[in-house]
Amino acid sequence: MARPAPARPARAFPLWAGAGFAALLVWSWHGTGVDPAALFGPEGLGQIAAYVRKLFPPDLSAHALRDAASGAVETFAISLIGSLLSVGIAAPLSLLATRTLLYRGILFEGRPPGPGARARRVALYAAGKATLRVLRTIPEIVWALIFVFMVGLGPFPGVLALGFHTGGVLGKLFGEVLEDVDPAPLEALQATGATRFQVLVYGVLPQALPQFVSYTLYRWEVNIRAAAMMGFVGAGGLGQRIHVAISLFHEHQLLTLILAIYLIVTLVDALSAYLRARLV
Amino acid sequence: MYELRGIRKVFAGGEAALDGVSLAVGRGEHVAFVGPSGAGKTTLFRILNLTLRPTAGTLVLDGRDVAGLSDAELRRARTRIGTIYQRQNLVGRLRVVHNVLAGNLGRWSTATALASLVRPRGAEEAARALEQVGMPEKLWARTDELSGGQQQRVAIARVLVQNPDVILADEPVSSVDPSLAVTIVSLLRDLSHERRKTLLMNLHSVELALAYFPRIVGIRDGRIHFDLAPARVTRELLAELYAGHRDDELQLERLQDGTRPFGGACRPLPGFAE
Amino acid sequence: MARGPSAAPVDRFPASPSRSVFPYVFGAVLLASVVFSLREAQVDPRRFVEGEALANVARFVRGAFPPKLSRDFLGLMARPALETIQISVMGTAIAVLIGLPLGLLATSSLTWRGILHERTSRSGRWTLGFVPYALSRATLSVLRSIPEYVWAFMFVRAVGLGPFPGVLAIGVAYGGMLGKVYSEILETMSPRPLETLHAAGAGKPGVILYGLVPQALPNVVAYTLYRWECAIRASAILGFVGAGGLGQQIELSMRMFQFDEVLTLLAILFALVAGVDWISGRIRARLA
Ligand SMILES: Nc1ncnc2c1ncn2[C@@H]1O[C@H](COP(=O)(O)OP(=O)(O)OP(=O)(O)O)[C@@H](O)[C@H]1O
Ligand SMILES: [Mg+2]
Repeated sequence: MARPAPARPARAFPLWAGAGFAALLVWSWHGTGVDPAALFGPEGLGQIAAYVRKLFPPDLSAHALRDAASGAVETFAISLIGSLLSVGIAAPLSLLATRTLLYRGILFEGRPPGPGARARRVALYAAGKATLRVLRTIPEIVWALIFVFMVGLGPFPGVLALGFHTGGVLGKLFGEVLEDVDPAPLEALQATGATRFQVLVYGVLPQALPQFVSYTLYRWEVNIRAAAMMGFVGAGGLGQRIHVAISLFHEHQLLTLILAIYLIVTLVDALSAYLRARLV
Repeated sequence: MYELRGIRKVFAGGEAALDGVSLAVGRGEHVAFVGPSGAGKTTLFRILNLTLRPTAGTLVLDGRDVAGLSDAELRRARTRIGTIYQRQNLVGRLRVVHNVLAGNLGRWSTATALASLVRPRGAEEAARALEQVGMPEKLWARTDELSGGQQQRVAIARVLVQNPDVILADEPVSSVDPSLAVTIVSLLRDLSHERRKTLLMNLHSVELALAYFPRIVGIRDGRIHFDLAPARVTRELLAELYAGHRDDELQLERLQDGTRPFGGACRPLPGFAE
Repeated sequence: MARGPSAAPVDRFPASPSRSVFPYVFGAVLLASVVFSLREAQVDPRRFVEGEALANVARFVRGAFPPKLSRDFLGLMARPALETIQISVMGTAIAVLIGLPLGLLATSSLTWRGILHERTSRSGRWTLGFVPYALSRATLSVLRSIPEYVWAFMFVRAVGLGPFPGVLAIGVAYGGMLGKVYSEILETMSPRPLETLHAAGAGKPGVILYGLVPQALPNVVAYTLYRWECAIRASAILGFVGAGGLGQQIELSMRMFQFDEVLTLLAILFALVAGVDWISGRIRARLA
């Protein structure tokens, strides 16, 4: 007679979670009018094939190429300056979003801030976090709309939009990196009599910098795609030209522009991978 | 120099790491702390270097209760206390030269500190300190590429640059080979002696402690077990101190074998006879 | 080497190691690109204070407060809000359907290098594995390099307006990203458990099921959830090209200068994103 096996422990993922997930899928399927028949049926496929045929061949006339090239360069410029601006926004704000630099952790063990000072610092932290959250919750394109409204058309509002949204994203990531650094070296630096700023510069930043660079490069890859989109609301770059080409039914030119996006995006991905390997 | 009264430290949600430590250390005195792992030696040093605040008790440094120090005064006081940490606590991504020169941070202005990261200020000073610990060639190496023992020596070099009044060395020789351990302990002792610095050292090796220090403090379970001159530290006392800690008991057995490898060095320093 | 009036014997100190030229080249190139890009992107902070800018900000802020909270408006917006969630869920599901098979094919250890990197000769089987590998890599690269809104545009042309093209756009673009990351997860996995299974006599399916899948699953699920968080933002954006969801409403209200509506819509989006982040975070925490 074998001993009865011990009872099976509760699943990490209970059944009701699976059921809920299935229900979510069905609900979404209906709500979005997913229709594989329309897509893969003869009519759907025919429609797609017809559209693809219309796109080919790409327009390779000198004028179209020049337009695509200048759009690509502008998109690149938007993504680069936008990313740098986002670092400029994220770096100072992330210092506010780091508890271990404001009111707790090893730097405050020797002499904890008094209740009043602590409350002020907690409030500062909360304000920093809230600002970052607002910045990153508003999508780039909405920022772009807002800035187009404020400063007019062109790539500049695109730069600002990328900077604000990505600033919020990077600020959060930077803050997490700063909170995660090894506190042991900070304790040792502090024990030499270093000020908190000196501890930041000699202990915290050297530990955090590689991750800062890596996150920034990663967001640059995201931003080059976003910069190509921004033009839809009048913020320059390839997006604006695509918008025009679509509105005017210039399908061949559209394909040229899409190829340009593919090229510039691939280029930035490769550059970012190279720099990551080189710098980090 | 130091006067401790009833120092108690309880970490969040734990037992007391220190439980009523009272101790006085005079200026220029050399004291070795021994005791089993987890006794509270490191915690005591972190309180002595003003990084941790005791849960209860008073710590008087040069006649002033440190609880009453302002931020700036606290920093100035820390500048005068150099700590060599048990774990080396260096910034791995910085070059050795910066880690050593960080001993100057308490004296440097913010601008100087920033500038030195670009162009090290006083690299010769760092090189000299590294030479004293026997590795001048590592000045420009990246710190995380060094071995544990080499990092430990970088930490010692930092304290040499800091040039404090008090040196707190928390097991400064835990990861170097035995002969280098002797060199480093005697380096720290001689240096402290020459320049009239106070030297407090945690040592796992009872042999080294007995050989080099005129005053031995035994700590166990957060309390001072004994505080005596080496000659009065008996085997029984040590056995009690380490009771229940197997590795350390083995070390004692070796001691009892009568082989005292550093016996020759055991001469009380002039002026510090008990 | 000696700096300043130090009396130290100079020859004793090792000189600072000669640095590589990379930092200088990098700095110069970066500086040049920034200067060039600043001109190209027509960056001009003066535009904030010139002309209408400040008045526009004032108009925007005055118009936005208080946000529009009338029952009619909120009722009208419930549907696009739900639609945004639906698009993100369905889009992510399709992305998994596309990304998983392509990702598996794009994993060199599964297709041509051999699970334990044992296949090294250029045999026929090697080629048999290499061709699908290269093809799926190329496909993934195209899928993810074309931004989702361009896909949305084309799908709107192909299948008409509404949320469906949005779903397809997210599915295709994110499928490319998921596939790439899946293959990276599979490739960087520790081969030791696999070797153990192999040594115990397990065949390839056994090794995959008992060694590969359990190791990779937590990461795969976590990354998929992360993409879902991105998808909810993306699905809001796609509305701008007529692919349903909140974005369409935001654009409409913005164009009509109804800033109180914009603020409400942004608040709804904020809540949606926070909700999805929270759920996904809970699941990820449980998996870890
Ligand atoms: N940050 C901390 N949080 C909670 N408990 C701590 C912390 N640091 C130390 N302790 C506890 O305090 C006690 C004393 O630790 P301490 O590091 O002072 O021992 P030690 O004498 O230096 O030991 P060793 O010889 O192994 O270095 C231990 O029980 C330890 O677990
Ligand atoms: Mg210790």
